[in-house]
Amino acid sequence: MSTEPAIPVRPLAGARPGDMRARLAQALADPMLQTALGRAIPGFRRMRASAVAEVPEWEVLRRLAAHIKDHTLAVLDRYLEQFEAAVRARGGVVHWAADAAEAQRTIIDLLRALGVHQVVKSKSMVTEEIGLNAALEAAGVRVVETDLGEYVLQLAGEAPSHLIAPMIHKPIEAVSELFAVALGAPRYERAEDLNRVARAALRREFLAADAGITGVNFAVAETGTLVIVENEGNARLVTSCPRVHVAVLGIEKLLPRLADLGVFLRLLARSATGQRASVYVSLLTGPRRSGEADGPDELHVVLVDNGRTRLLADPDLREALRCIRCSACLNVCPVFERAGGHAYGSVYAGPIGAVLTPALWGLRPARELPFASTLCGACGEVCPVSIDLPRLLLELRARVVREGLVGRPDRLFARLWTLVMRSPTRLTLFGALGRALQRLAVSEGRIDRLRGPLAGWTAHRAAPPLAAVPFRVRWRARGGRPGRGRP
Amino acid sequence: MSREAVLGRVRAALRSAAAVAQPVPAGAAAAVPALPALPDHQVVADPVTLFVERARAVATTVEICATVDDAAVQAAAWLAARGARRVVAWDDPDVATVAVRLAAGGIEVTPPGVASDIVAQADAGLTGAAWGIAESASLVLPADPQRPRLFSLLPPLHVAVLRAGRILPDLPALFEHLQATHPSGLPPAALPSALAFVSGPSRSADIGLVPVQGAHGPMEVAVLVVTR
Amino acid sequence: MTSRSCAEAVVAPSGSCATMVREWYPRLFRDDPPRAAAAAVLGRRTYELSEFLVRVLGRTDLGARFDAAVAYHPSCHGLRGLGLRDEPLSLLRAVRGLRLVDLPRAEECCGFGGFFAVTFAPVSGAMLASKLDAVEASGADVVTATDASCLMHLAGGLARRGSRVRAVHLAEILAAS
Repeated sequence: MSTEPAIPVRPLAGARPGDMRARLAQALADPMLQTALGRAIPGFRRMRASAVAEVPEWEVLRRLAAHIKDHTLAVLDRYLEQFEAAVRARGGVVHWAADAAEAQRTIIDLLRALGVHQVVKSKSMVTEEIGLNAALEAAGVRVVETDLGEYVLQLAGEAPSHLIAPMIHKPIEAVSELFAVALGAPRYERAEDLNRVARAALRREFLAADAGITGVNFAVAETGTLVIVENEGNARLVTSCPRVHVAVLGIEKLLPRLADLGVFLRLLARSATGQRASVYVSLLTGPRRSGEADGPDELHVVLVDNGRTRLLADPDLREALRCIRCSACLNVCPVFERAGGHAYGSVYAGPIGAVLTPALWGLRPARELPFASTLCGACGEVCPVSIDLPRLLLELRARVVREGLVGRPDRLFARLWTLVMRSPTRLTLFGALGRALQRLAVSEGRIDRLRGPLAGWTAHRAAPPLAAVPFRVRWRARGGRPGRGRP
Repeated sequence: MSREAVLGRVRAALRSAAAVAQPVPAGAAAAVPALPALPDHQVVADPVTLFVERARAVATTVEICATVDDAAVQAAAWLAARGARRVVAWDDPDVATVAVRLAAGGIEVTPPGVASDIVAQADAGLTGAAWGIAESASLVLPADPQRPRLFSLLPPLHVAVLRAGRILPDLPALFEHLQATHPSGLPPAALPSALAFVSGPSRSADIGLVPVQGAHGPMEVAVLVVTR
Repeated sequence: MTSRSCAEAVVAPSGSCATMVREWYPRLFRDDPPRAAAAAVLGRRTYELSEFLVRVLGRTDLGARFDAAVAYHPSCHGLRGLGLRDEPLSLLRAVRGLRLVDLPRAEECCGFGGFFAVTFAPVSGAMLASKLDAVEASGADVVTATDASCLMHLAGGLARRGSRVRAVHLAEILAAS
């Protein structure tokens, strides 16, 4: 790898991608964030668990989904071509973008050609990935985010902190204040009233916009159908009111057949929010047909690579491309529960973020991410498409080491460890040395303060001393037999 | 060209991955995993009852009506209770009787063909439904010139007339129906420009994590299940 | 991993060690077929303690006695790596005088994670705090697990809190009388 592409980082008050530990400390020290996460996350877990428990064939569906995705990825070029032909057969236009810059240019050019000045947008991870909003604003196009949470954050100039609940870190009072200042609304206290304010403001935007931009949850190759899943209804409005619809999607979103949705839709809602179905699922095939009163006149589909082919080429990591962005792994991760989304310094957070970020955009800037985990395995257990996230994290760790991206103290420690552990003599010597030295540090049967690289241990817990007599000495003294002749 | 660049990269990626991957033992299946067959739909003894149960769980109002006339009476009652005077209605056989009755009762009923801001001013949208899905209490709404998308989306109340016989157990059953007419694969022309699965009123819990109904779409969904 | 060993079984008082040998040794040696084969052989004979007692020897009652209220923390690698759910519990239920108490949010990681405990100490500490809050809320006198690493981490935290709850390995409970 000669030039590492930069991770598309959202503005985070000057933090650089490599400062994950600093951002984690910041997150832990933020009482409002901790309270919000503590309220929301257990709820998501509970709801997901009960929704899944209702489906006895859940494990079968997970395996099936993994197989469908693996098949699709293995012949992705074929399905991309089939998809393109199907979209064009219904009068849609397909654009291809190799990277973020090209995606931005393509979208700006097509909007200009169509005389678009105002855009309404629904939540889309890939558009954040490519930095679309900033590019559009710079090109003189006004963009309004329409997911309630995204709308509020846009007004406030902040970044989302969770895949499914973007405003998890923002309390009602702050929203009330924001609407009062930005929209001239009365200082309402109840969510219902604030909601009505936003609904009215956004209605005007939907009806006035020239174009709607959305992401896509699935793209069906067989029929050229775009599938958008949501609860609020803003994506339906974004794709029904304006005369132009631009759908942006990563090339990995393809499914072979319409009927595959029978598997994936059942997995997605339950995994994401514990619902049996999201409130709205839109299957969009081509622009509006003649005679229809609503729907776009023009449909433009933008297929984005932006590092996905790199992952596709990697047999060990490719399964990460199965991801359907449900956020179940985020919700179940004990690290994410305390870190929130910003700590990952990337558009993608949580366990999947820790895999996708280095895999798509380079190990160096994301080298801490695979280590920010105890490998407890909760993520792999809940993934609806059976991505073996713990294995992928371990694989990335190995690569970080192999590429020499680990810090010197860690390298030295590993060398020392290997040196000592490979030889029984050295282990004995080292143990004796440790026992001698620890006399200074042990009090009341424990060590309360370790220095140097191990200081992190005693920051939160006591350390046990090395045993006065090692187990193997005792074992040998007993002639290698158990002590009391128990059965 | 970008198309060739991206497709080229995809092909190159697939070739290089195949070269690197562990050698496949002799006699094993081809390197490309097969596209699996899909499981059949679930068998549900009483889809109507399941639909009603699941609908109530997502705050959809449901009323079972013996005939379309009964449905019309119920619809009128719902509108009256909400002080609703203006309705936009699909031009659809299931909806026609109800629409005529409402109009006769003094409700202003507007058919398809009006501008969106007129639709936005309506108190209720009256639609049919091509299918119902029992597992998730979903309405399947196709779009066409007689059935605008926005009628089930802009007004604060959405009233839908659903024939009991059109209630399917689950989504796979719907896709099986769609494919029955195209056994060798669905062509793009087989689908409407928009097919919406609607499962209850619009929701959000983004603001303060407090759940609200009517984030953008309707605040209320009411379904008239007609059994005859 | 010597091929000289003719032991029928290698039993580890640790789910993570057993998982490492069984699942990961073959993968570590994937470019070294002879060692990978030896690893596979060893892996088939390697068990975690409760797994060995219950699934291989078919024993749940070892005649143990341990008078205490005990909370069981299912260590992650044993739970998700080896599928250990009932085995440790059935062993504990057969111990005379032992009262098994419910541990809230039991399946959540304790926060040890090897070097994670040092490299990401603040998060590790926060996870430890949640686990210990749950242990104390459960009314247990003792918290037990199949992994010494989890227990070392929990014991360290309990000592720091000045808690009277003790961290005791499953093997020590089963050996008690």
